[in-house]
Amino acid sequence: MTKRPFFTLLKPGFNYDLVESNPEEPESIPLPDNLILLLNEPINSAKKSLIKKGDTVKKGEKLCLYDESTEYTISPVAGSISSIDIFLDDSGNTSTYLVIKKDQKETTDTITYDLKDDITSADQYLRTLPGKPPLKILATNDNKINTIVITCIDTDLLTTTSQYVASKFSNEIKEGAQILKKLTGIPKICIAVPEESNIKEKFDTMQVFETSIRYPSNFPALILKDHLNIMLSAGQAPEDVGVCFITAEAAASMAIAYKTKTAGFEKHLTVIGKQGDKHRVTATVGTSLGKIFKALDIHISNEDRIVIGCPMQGIATYTLNHPVQSDMNTILIQDKESIHQISDSACINCGKCVQICPANVPVNILVRYLEADKYEEAADKYDLESCIECGLCAYVCISKIPLYQYIKLGKHELSAFRDSSVELETANE
Amino acid sequence: MNNYKLTVSHAPFWHDGDSIFQMNLNILIALLPAVIFGIIQFGTPAAGVLALSLSSAIVWEFILNITSKNKITIGDLDAAVIGLLFGMMLPATSPWWLVITGTFVAVVIGKIIFGGLGANPFNPALVGMAFLMLSWKTFFDFDTAYVNYDFDFTAFAPLATLKFQGVEAISDLFTSTDLLMGNQVGGIGSTFGLGLIIGGIYLILRGYARWEITVSFIAGIVFTAYCFNLANPGSYAGPMFHLLSGYTLLGAFFLATERSSSPVNKIPMLLYGFFAGVMIILMRNIGAYADGTILAILLFNLANPLIDTIRPKALGKGINNA
Repeated sequence: MTKRPFFTLLKPGFNYDLVESNPEEPESIPLPDNLILLLNEPINSAKKSLIKKGDTVKKGEKLCLYDESTEYTISPVAGSISSIDIFLDDSGNTSTYLVIKKDQKETTDTITYDLKDDITSADQYLRTLPGKPPLKILATNDNKINTIVITCIDTDLLTTTSQYVASKFSNEIKEGAQILKKLTGIPKICIAVPEESNIKEKFDTMQVFETSIRYPSNFPALILKDHLNIMLSAGQAPEDVGVCFITAEAAASMAIAYKTKTAGFEKHLTVIGKQGDKHRVTATVGTSLGKIFKALDIHISNEDRIVIGCPMQGIATYTLNHPVQSDMNTILIQDKESIHQISDSACINCGKCVQICPANVPVNILVRYLEADKYEEAADKYDLESCIECGLCAYVCISKIPLYQYIKLGKHELSAFRDSSVELETANE
Repeated sequence: MNNYKLTVSHAPFWHDGDSIFQMNLNILIALLPAVIFGIIQFGTPAAGVLALSLSSAIVWEFILNITSKNKITIGDLDAAVIGLLFGMMLPATSPWWLVITGTFVAVVIGKIIFGGLGANPFNPALVGMAFLMLSWKTFFDFDTAYVNYDFDFTAFAPLATLKFQGVEAISDLFTSTDLLMGNQVGGIGSTFGLGLIIGGIYLILRGYARWEITVSFIAGIVFTAYCFNLANPGSYAGPMFHLLSGYTLLGAFFLATERSSSPVNKIPMLLYGFFAGVMIILMRNIGAYADGTILAILLFNLANPLIDTIRPKALGKGINNA
């Protein structure tokens, strides 16, 4: 599947999967007794918390930690908070997780929101919808954004989640586009679909970008370059040049939320088993991954690897209790036998990474600087920040150097260094 | 459920499964046709020189690994490749001490003191060869080296004949077919042109050698030799003769393409190969050496870091928004 072919005169590469023309209905994962919600704010024991263990919550209730908190989460069930604790993500950032114990008796009461036709109102309740609409960016960007791109394409390999949603919920997506237009006042709303697929026909009234099925052409930086003719400067995010990307699922769930005045919680996922078998499922946000594997009858054993996201750039989780999140599209399970080793060999300058890099980064020189912790030189001279994080360099690396990890670490250290030097400057003034 | 210990690591979670061992093994396989032909042509002494060269290169690396208290790296076969390439350039009659000294210079001075695999600024095998050729010139006179052999073809070294006897001499003595099929004297593994071409193309198809370097190297040789030949056919040999004699083909497919001493970007690879080819013909036609392959490639190894700075702009660098 992923091995090197015998003859490799042309550079290797991957194609995105396309959704079947007549996709099966997803399997619905039953609502578990305990749901785990992540809240992107660290616990501060000096402040008085608004929520505590034992509190009862209603379905659709907005939960935030402190009075002045801007981050919130929405409870998908009625129940009670059974624990609040620190969550550590893979780059060492702390946030908070809540466990909500579902009430035994079924209730259909849902809190309805007072949704008005402006973006701030939507931002107050709908940030955690399935697909994770970037409402925070839209609400705080002071009209700098002039284009919204709805992506009916999957940035992850092996996955067809977004395409499935686009083919099943095309009407909702169109309504979502209208709602976004009304809320933000941004006239230009485009839609990105994979070429060679029939999704395009459903959106003939909108401006459509057809993206190549060659990985990584679905990345925001490359869509900007290929279709909007905008070159993202090194280190810039799409919103800095006035473009906001929103997933198809987010647009559809916005439309449904405005229709029903309630939040949705059913997230579509593609689960890829050890033999490459694909399952399309829907699960409530907060369901632990272990519950999904149980429902799909996927057996996990010690030293297997569970990857959230793309095999090229996702993250590996350390626990089966990792919850389904609103921006999670793919879960990949790898058998321990199929896990490759990395090594500490030096770069032999074979040039494969340079040949395959879609952003023309001189990876062979860059890695020498990163290995020596020279992050500023790496960014100034060897284009560290131009990297779009597709992971192809580390895939082809003959020395098995963890190049992608070096690059991510380099970017992380560089931004930490810049933040601290800004702090120093302001302190000196 | 909480007791599972999952493997946690960093993306990407796929790898194409290739390794340095695989690459070097393929280089050794690609060298085999020329090596086997050399042993048949030059007999047991050739086998002896190759075996000693290959094994001593590995032993030198092993000794250096031990004394410098580093990880043992002979398992990646890089020393074996250096040793074999080095042996292929030697005449079959080389004395044992010459081989051992050469592999010492190649592996230790050419590679390990610069930091080992991937850190060498020059092709290690060529460093060893250049050292020997400058120190013990007489051993590399192929006419005297094979004086006790009885070949059924012209036993003159083609390039030395060209240098000292002129174009008339070579036009009668050497046909392109003879040179291609290995009917010439020279280094053990560098005479069988066809075998080197087959091995080299195999490496390129497997993706272990960069075709840009080989193609531009050959283009540089053919172009320059053709120009000289066109200007004065009486004093300069044609491109086919230059291409098929001496170390040219070994250089084109195996020496110039050594990874850490050659560029990786498209235009630099083409420049590097082309000018190394040009330089070889300049050395042969104007310079003092009969075969300039080794020094020409070393010279362009030196230029590699400079020319490899010619590279495409990275995404989002230096271009203003449209």
